[in-house]
This record gives sequence, C-alpha cells and structure tokens, in this order.
Amino acid sequence: MKAFTFVIQDPQGLHARPAGMLAKTAAGYQSTITIKAPGGEADAKRLMAIMRLAAKAGMELTVSCDGPDEDAAAAGMEAFLKENL
Amino acid sequence: MGLFQKLFGQDGKGSAIQVFAPVAGQVVPITQVSDPTFGEEILGKGVAIKPTEGKVFAPCDATVDLMFDTGHAISLVSDSGAEILIHVGLDTVALKGQHYTIHAHNGDKVKKGDLLIEFDPESIAAAGYDTITPVVICNSGDFAAIQTHTGQTAAPGDLILELTK
Repeated sequence: MKAFTFVIQDPQGLHARPAGMLAKTAAGYQSTITIKAPGGEADAKRLMAIMRLAAKAGMELTVSCDGPDEDAAAAGMEAFLKENL
Repeated sequence: MGLFQKLFGQDGKGSAIQVFAPVAGQVVPITQVSDPTFGEEILGKGVAIKPTEGKVFAPCDATVDLMFDTGHAISLVSDSGAEILIHVGLDTVALKGQHYTIHAHNGDKVKKGDLLIEFDPESIAAAGYDTITPVVICNSGDFAAIQTHTGQTAAPGDLILELTK
C-alpha cells in the first residue's frame, strides 16, 4: 500500500467540480483508492462519497492506494491534488 | 415504495427509475452546459434546467446525502438507488451561500416535491453567474440506460430522467 497526506489549499474546498475530477482521475487506476478526511472515509472512485466528506480548506486528507498500480496511482492522485486543490 | 415494486419493479428488468424536475424551467441536454465538468459528463449523465423560479424541490423520494453548507448544491440518494446531484448555477460555490436558503439537511428523508432550497435567480444572475441547474446521476455507470426528456418547459415534478438497470 502507498499512502500520502495532502492539506487542501483551495479556499472553496472539495466541492462538486474537483470531486468529479478527482473521481475521474481515481477511476483511471486499478488500485483501490481511499481518502480519509476529518469528516470520514471515502472510496475515491465514488463521487457522492467524496462530496460527503465535505472537506474544506486547511483540512488534511490521507490518500491510500492499494493494488497492482499503487505507485502510479499515488503519484497520479498527488499530482492531481497539488494542481487542483 | 411497496415491497412488491421494490423486488420486481426497480431492480429487475421492469419499470425504470423516474427522476422529476426539481425546479421549473426549460430542460436542455447536459452537453449544453458551458462548464465542462457538467457538459462533458464528468459528474455523470443528466439534464440541465434553466430555472424560471427560485425553488428546488425533491426530484423523487430520497434521502439527503449532502446539503452543501453554501446551499448551492445538494446530493440525494433515491429510495431506488440513484445518486442525484442538483447543482444550482455554475461556479456558484463562490457565492458562499449568498442568495441561497437551505430547507433540508443531511440525512433528511424527503418526498418528491418537498422544498429543499430557495434561491434568488435575479440576484445570482446580477452577480454574474449562470443560473443553469444541472441535474446529474453521479452513479450513471450503475445503469444500463439513462433516458432524458429535454426540450420541454417543465414544472416541478414533471418527468426529466428515466434510469434502467
């Protein structure tokens, strides 16, 4: 398993658009990708679950990737978060 | 929903899951939404409504999954398993709740037609935002077919989407 943490910088937090893009990015990997936030835990491939985290600016996310492409998944997810959130 | 319907209607090959207009206005294809997150169906398949009234009603019997604290969007899980996102206007997260009044909360069980959100379309437009309201099925991949009813001017409660497993 590969995991990393990321603190949300975007003042608008993880709202609908970034949640949708995040789910789409996650869907590109075979690995199981889980996002942990103060508000709970979500399957990164499920849009509604990500939105339900209601993650705001300043909150720390822990992203865990588990599967055959976990290295690529973790790198891809981290790049996505840095660029978009 | 009756048990018989639950067992044989929604989950089998039988009747489609119906989603109704949450807001009054012209129903257009989602691809006409200028925001690519919606227009390219990244959030899911669906339709968009150009609102003529500032009231959002429950599109079917459902549970409120997440009322955004800004009131600009709400996600619901229908009793039949459809995950529905109603996003009132584009980029309206930036309004931080201004011009929106919340009438439902996370976890609320709602019936088709219950008031969820009130908003002020004139003020939102005057602030420079498009009030077009996408209604999308976040778990579109769980359905074999999603039929849209566009081209109509809908009243709240008119049929806009039919989902088949």
